[in-house]
Amino acid sequence: MTRLSRREMMLASLLPLAFPAHASASRRIVSIGGAVTEILYRLGAEPEIVGVDSTSQFPVDALGKKANVGYMRTLGAEGILSLSPTLVLASEAAGPPDALRLIEQAGVTVVRITDEPSQVGIVRRIRDIAQAIGAQDRGAALVEDVERGFSRLGQAHSKIASGVRALFVLSIQNGRPLVGGRGTTADAMLALAGATNVASSLEGWKPLSDEGLIAAAPEVIVMVSHGPGGAAADPFALPSFAATPAAAKRRLVVMDTLYLLGFGPRTPNAAGDLMLALYPDLADEAKKALRP
Amino acid sequence: MSAMIETRGLSYNRGGRSLVRDVSLEIGKGLFTVIAGPNGAGKSTLLRLLSGELSPTDGEVIFNGSPIRAIPSWRLAHARAVMPQASDLSFPFTALEIANLGIEGIGRGLSRSERSSIALEALERADVVHLAHRNYQTLSGGERQRVHFARALAQLKTGRSVEPRQALFLDEPIASLDLKHQLSLLQEARRLAHGGLTVVAVLHDLQLAASICDDLVLINAGEVVACGSASEVLTPSRLRGAFGVRLTLDHWPRFPWSLA
Amino acid sequence: MTAHAFTRSGLRLHREDRQRITLGMLLVLLVCVSFLGLGLGATGIPMTRVLSILASVINGDTAAPTGEALIVLQVRLPRLLLGMLIGAALASSGALMQGLFRNPLADPGLVGVSSGAALAAAATITLGDRFLASLIGALPFGALPAGAFLGGLFTTLGLYLIATRAGRTSIATMLLAGIALGALANALMGLLAYISDDRQLRDLSFWSLGSLSGATWAKVAGVTPFIVPALLAMPFLARGLNALSLGEAEAFHLGFSVQRVKALAIILVSVSVGASVACAGIIGFVGIVVPHILRLLSGPDHRFLLPASALLGAILLITADIIARVIVAPAELPIGILTAAIGAPFFLWLLLRRRGEMML
Repeated sequence: MTRLSRREMMLASLLPLAFPAHASASRRIVSIGGAVTEILYRLGAEPEIVGVDSTSQFPVDALGKKANVGYMRTLGAEGILSLSPTLVLASEAAGPPDALRLIEQAGVTVVRITDEPSQVGIVRRIRDIAQAIGAQDRGAALVEDVERGFSRLGQAHSKIASGVRALFVLSIQNGRPLVGGRGTTADAMLALAGATNVASSLEGWKPLSDEGLIAAAPEVIVMVSHGPGGAAADPFALPSFAATPAAAKRRLVVMDTLYLLGFGPRTPNAAGDLMLALYPDLADEAKKALRP
Repeated sequence: MSAMIETRGLSYNRGGRSLVRDVSLEIGKGLFTVIAGPNGAGKSTLLRLLSGELSPTDGEVIFNGSPIRAIPSWRLAHARAVMPQASDLSFPFTALEIANLGIEGIGRGLSRSERSSIALEALERADVVHLAHRNYQTLSGGERQRVHFARALAQLKTGRSVEPRQALFLDEPIASLDLKHQLSLLQEARRLAHGGLTVVAVLHDLQLAASICDDLVLINAGEVVACGSASEVLTPSRLRGAFGVRLTLDHWPRFPWSLA
Repeated sequence: MTAHAFTRSGLRLHREDRQRITLGMLLVLLVCVSFLGLGLGATGIPMTRVLSILASVINGDTAAPTGEALIVLQVRLPRLLLGMLIGAALASSGALMQGLFRNPLADPGLVGVSSGAALAAAATITLGDRFLASLIGALPFGALPAGAFLGGLFTTLGLYLIATRAGRTSIATMLLAGIALGALANALMGLLAYISDDRQLRDLSFWSLGSLSGATWAKVAGVTPFIVPALLAMPFLARGLNALSLGEAEAFHLGFSVQRVKALAIILVSVSVGASVACAGIIGFVGIVVPHILRLLSGPDHRFLLPASALLGAILLITADIIARVIVAPAELPIGILTAAIGAPFFLWLLLRRRGEMML
């Protein structure tokens, strides 16, 4: 079997899915980063995508239909080049740098997309991606959509009298929680949802000690589910969690990882959902703003 | 008789304990000298000092007329070989490879066939040529000792062309050997001594020592009790003093065995 | 004595011939996997095309490569060479360490050389970024490899000083101190990871995942001056290491300067392991399994073992890398998984087959 026929076989299996008849096959995009892929799909560039990285969990289609180039931090230059891309859109977290440099040397345009977890960051991300694929009009529409979402969120935010004390727990290993401190996507998300991050004295993702957890006294615990339906373990079974105010009312919010932390176009909705979960008694008008 | 090895006020301390104390000896060239003494008397330590492996705390060893410390290890290796108490090996060398180690250090000028014939001859002399390709790790204690003896012989043979005045140091060489191999090993050493080799051996079997050695050095608690011919040294009072044993015969017994 | 002569010539077969045959086969195998390494990959390039690309370079074609030529010359070739150098360096360093410590389980990873190099690299990423970069703007490109190399060297040097008293190095002390230093280095690495920010953590993870995927000509050029001279120097220690396997006193009796053999071995190991860790992270298993396989096949003579380990190490790493980038193409598997997955079953098979004859 020659290499060429193998490649043809691989492409043959991908093409019917990736390229609807009307799409021009001239542009081939490799998308690296969950939010990048999400935005590309929202901009209607799905037919042009030939490969995605393993963090591209949404839409669920992406990993099922496109070639998987692996984890975004351990990319291989040849793997991506083998898809004959014309454009690589990569999150700033993607690497190793040498692999991306080689791809650029091969004449492929590599555009790095910001990771900043904020409204400004999301807007910039959408604009940069839209510009890279020449879909400025759709990009502008999406930006408008996202900004509308944020302004509704802002309205609801103003109805919150006092912020609930929340702790974001990414994972619990050996009974020790890994929590989101200052500068993390979790911190930004809690702020958007109108909560006070009790771990804001820490910087980055850090393990929190039992005593630190009790001293932080969170009123609600926010956790992420890994993958669809993957329920998080019950944190209140642990003694340190059981001693928090959150345990008294068994207040635990569990949401999908990428939805909550991806900082893509769905973020205003995700923040809204989180806000509703954190403040079940939010005034009706605020609820209406969030769920028009 | 000229001295091959001379020591002057040789002492060795370790961990605050004095293992060898003020030993002054002359070891004659071409003689078979046995070092005897009770356990912990310092026999092996003295042998290691004489062979240059240990540096004395005090005093010095004169080897072939020069201080042994001043002789670089590669030159010393031409002039003396040491057969240690049999040891474990972490790697599966064959007996032939072990014998070859005696040649590798100093015989770089030799051709491959010269080296292999020296190694095989040494294995034959030690009666282990049939084990040449056996893994050392699978050999018995006695077989291992004979392989090390072969290595020492190979080293001496290799060094002889450069340094004809040689010495062989044996540390309890027959501890795990059967009677036949005890005799054949010591007789081979004896034969070499006749040819001019200086042999220094630590032995436990006093009867065997007395039957084979020219000189005997009796040490106890790190000090030389007596040295000279076996019959002079091994008096009943010294035996009682050093070993705490009493001779039940009225004369020193002859060693009753010889090779068939 | 004809019977005698017969025995002699008959006996000389066995190991020496086996060693020669093994070396020859390894050389052929290395050439084969090298061509496979150039010919296989996520992009299907026919072997004839690969050869013509190579031929045009050899004939002095200096035009900047594009397309398939770029993949062969800028992606696969540096990766192949880097894998070859690092595999050779790791495996022969393993053999050297085992000979030095007279312990078939010794490994550069065990005596803290790898950990020291890794710690220094981590420190370069986090602290260097925090303090140095604020002074000179940005970290220079070569700072990471240089840091890792110096870390490996200083760890080994420190170990050596701890274990040496009055000109004698106690290998047992060195082994214990190495394990302690390795634990300390790992702890400090955890601390560094704790204080790093997101971007530094990302850099740390790129580097610590142990991969050849970032292979470039710059990296090949960076490690060659360290690894190649070390590999060439190692065989000169072979006789000394053979003698050392009897014990230090015996090696001295046989005419070797034990202290010099030990010092040289330590320098060569830290140079080659430091350079390897610096550019590919920690790749386990090669240093320990390759020398074992070769000892089982053709005996422990270091004159054979050191060059053969270099060859088999290169073969193992290249093979692992080929599989790593082909099996889940266009994605890649971490190479450490594959070195273990290929090496371990083969090693076990050899152990079982030779259970009766060899004791390790």
